[in-house]
Amino acid sequence: MKTETLIGKSVPRIDSIRKATGAAKYTADLFLSGMLHAKVLRSPYPHARILDIDTSKAEQLEGVRAVITGKDTKGVKWGVFPYTQDHGMIATDKVRFIGEEVAAVAAVTEEIAQRAVELIDVTYEELPAVFDPEKAMKDDKLIHEDRGTNINVHVDIDVGDVDAAFGEAEIVLEDVFKSAGEAYAMMEPYSVVADFNSEGYLDLWIPNAGPHVRAKALSNLLKMPLNKVRVRKIDIGGAFGGRSEVSPSDVVTALLSIKSRQPVKLVLSREETFTATRQVHDMIVYLKTGADANGMIIARDARVIYDGGAYSSTGPIATSVPFYVYEETYKHPNVRYNGYRVYTNKCPRGMYPHHGRAYQVAMTTHMDMVAEKLGLDPMEIRLRNANRSGDHTATDSVISSCGLSESITMTAEMSRWSEKRGKLPKYRGIGMGSMGLMCGFPMGFRSGATAFIRMNESGQITLFTGMVDNGQGNENMVVQITAEVIGIPMEMVNLVNADTEMTGHDPGAYSQAATFVGGNAVMRAAQDVRRQVLAASAEMMKVAPDELDITNGMIHLKNDNEKSFFIARAARYAMSNGGNIVGKGSYFPKISRDREWVKNPRGQMGGTYSFNTVVTEIEVDPDTGIIKMLDVWAAHDCGKPINPATVEGQIHGIVSRGGVATYMEEIDWDRGQVLNPNLLDYKVPLATDMPEMDVELITTNDPEGPFGAKEGGLTASMNVYKAIVSAFYDATGVWLKELPFTPEKVLKALAKKNN
Amino acid sequence: MGDRSIKLIVNGYSYNVSVPAETTLLEVLREELQLTGTKFGCDTGECGACTVLIDGRPFRSCMTLAVEVEGKRITTIEGLANGGELHPVQKKFVELQAIQCGFCSPGMILTAVAFLGENPKPTRQEVRRAISGNICRCTGYQKIVEAVIAASKINGGGRK
Repeated sequence: MKTETLIGKSVPRIDSIRKATGAAKYTADLFLSGMLHAKVLRSPYPHARILDIDTSKAEQLEGVRAVITGKDTKGVKWGVFPYTQDHGMIATDKVRFIGEEVAAVAAVTEEIAQRAVELIDVTYEELPAVFDPEKAMKDDKLIHEDRGTNINVHVDIDVGDVDAAFGEAEIVLEDVFKSAGEAYAMMEPYSVVADFNSEGYLDLWIPNAGPHVRAKALSNLLKMPLNKVRVRKIDIGGAFGGRSEVSPSDVVTALLSIKSRQPVKLVLSREETFTATRQVHDMIVYLKTGADANGMIIARDARVIYDGGAYSSTGPIATSVPFYVYEETYKHPNVRYNGYRVYTNKCPRGMYPHHGRAYQVAMTTHMDMVAEKLGLDPMEIRLRNANRSGDHTATDSVISSCGLSESITMTAEMSRWSEKRGKLPKYRGIGMGSMGLMCGFPMGFRSGATAFIRMNESGQITLFTGMVDNGQGNENMVVQITAEVIGIPMEMVNLVNADTEMTGHDPGAYSQAATFVGGNAVMRAAQDVRRQVLAASAEMMKVAPDELDITNGMIHLKNDNEKSFFIARAARYAMSNGGNIVGKGSYFPKISRDREWVKNPRGQMGGTYSFNTVVTEIEVDPDTGIIKMLDVWAAHDCGKPINPATVEGQIHGIVSRGGVATYMEEIDWDRGQVLNPNLLDYKVPLATDMPEMDVELITTNDPEGPFGAKEGGLTASMNVYKAIVSAFYDATGVWLKELPFTPEKVLKALAKKNN
Repeated sequence: MGDRSIKLIVNGYSYNVSVPAETTLLEVLREELQLTGTKFGCDTGECGACTVLIDGRPFRSCMTLAVEVEGKRITTIEGLANGGELHPVQKKFVELQAIQCGFCSPGMILTAVAFLGENPKPTRQEVRRAISGNICRCTGYQKIVEAVIAASKINGGGRK
């Protein structure tokens, strides 16, 4: 019997009908009986001492059910690591950024909650604020007095002999690169519904990128047992790295529900989402590069300053990941990296897929400058320095499957690179960016995942997984894998996911872990079910299990599908002889257990790595300074695409976010105030800003990934902005070193060159 | 100012609601009628997530007062499918994976439906212009453009 495989098929996603018909429920769409509405009072100052908070007038307003301040918290400070716990989630002694949570109200309507918030009197004593991270590093005005410095995190990596290598280098370059932070600008404004019930359970619906990690953070912050804090399944309107971490809004809404003993909904405005939820770091990169006469980059010395805002957030990770994604891509024999994340009086900065855009641009621009000096094609210098399968990175990760070189040559062919680079008309240029990325990073005992599957007497199954879907297609991915492994149609698989009460641990949908880690656990649970189904069937048929196969839900002898029976019979036989078929699968990636971001940055970072190259052709308008992408070609090594259309969609999206951001996106600040906290002044790409994109997927069949799969897409974001920088040089002969390349900066750069 | 009593026709059903005159259509749809398929994305007319059809034309429901549309025919995403049968635009969005997080999809689909009513055989560039008031942060728009073009080939994009 010929078995059709589901793997590699672009089947429609299981979540799309509910999303196409308006039936999908996002957090703000929930209406619970007796539900109250919350509003938050936020700091108007970037830095001030709180002398007094008077909530009495707010409490007396008719319709108000609960008012909270920092005194209602349990005094626990949040930080991803024990040594970064600095964020009380509601300010008590001081406010440290404009928009920081100071108090909150739950009332019977949103309007009453807003009126009550305006009745809260706070007496502040303004303090000198610091906004420039380089000044803050030296400043004696401390944002956290108990820390003794405004340097929040220092990541210090030193491999090989950097000084000796510079001594041997033929070419030495030194430059400064900068980038402005971006906004995630996911379409769903941040929202939380919390329901504390009479049995002491706190149910929460939150846009998140990892329900289990979120529940544990909230259990710590609220000093509640983990089993009493239940993060429930809800549709999520985008994440892009911005929903990985617990948010003050979660704590505020939970405390209001606990205090009022009623369900509470908080929906942030678009402006609050811009100004008071985590966004992206501004960066300054001081880079020195040494290369030999063959174009091999033999020495790097990077000093990188990250403007971290008022609290640690994911600090040590954010300060490290830009370094790692580069070392996963290119050889790094001698490197010194000093990453400093610095406190400033701004809203805390978090993770973003465009990992450290000033850093990646700096590293690639220097590579291109070396190529220029040696008369090498930028493609050639990338190939010479590229990692290959089996290579070790500077900090001792082994790269398993690696399609980097293939992605470079494939995009060169797709774009007709050799006919174009250096040969296009003036103000048109072509550029290339390449990057590798770990599929999941070490998260201690949380790095792995566990999934369960139950089969009912009709042969249908329910898959229970902690896997969350922020829009990238994870729900469909796990169902597609399960159906394929067991040998049943996807319609026979029910999915229960992203609910901390019902599912096993999953590390979350960030850092490219979902398919590789969570998908692997699901695959193993499905294999366990299949094994049990075959064992029961073999007993019934008095044959050996390995003589049987399952196709489309029918159990049959291999090579003979005449005598077949429906899988339900095996399920019933199992029930009569012990009980329901229940499968379990766990997966823990092969990563270093001793690695620590600051104290021990050595050892295996990820279980595997995905690779991607993007080539883009751009046009620069010399009169207006406007850059336009005319074409995009991308080739991506995702190991093996489970659902090719889904992977393509990931790449399309990330090219739009990373690409257009190169010349349009920046958060604009004035003394701690965001000047563009809306979708009119903060420019995100529209359909007319995007060219047609041509995406190819490369199959490398990773030995560890489920069906050989790694991860889809994220690398392309870094590649497209690097490609634009390189293309801009090809178009104009100018290296731009400060992102975004707004029309003003482009015109200045062109004028400087022409003078 | 007291509440105003208004009659709305939404997805073929008529509703009587009593709301303050400054209440937007978005608020009435979501809070009063609990038709939550229409999304709150910015409340200032920038993102298009709250798009609904009023007499077949796309409007931002966050910028439209409920009292302005009394008696007009309002279609939200919940009213687009005909019973169990998806509208061709919905069908193609599903088939071609033009939906990721789905938050922009209701507004995007309704904008596309209205556009195909006016321009049944559009070019890709015309589609891009037509949907340029609806922000999607996930897809880079490519599969959305493909889905709208594919829908245009089924009976000119179907009924409005």
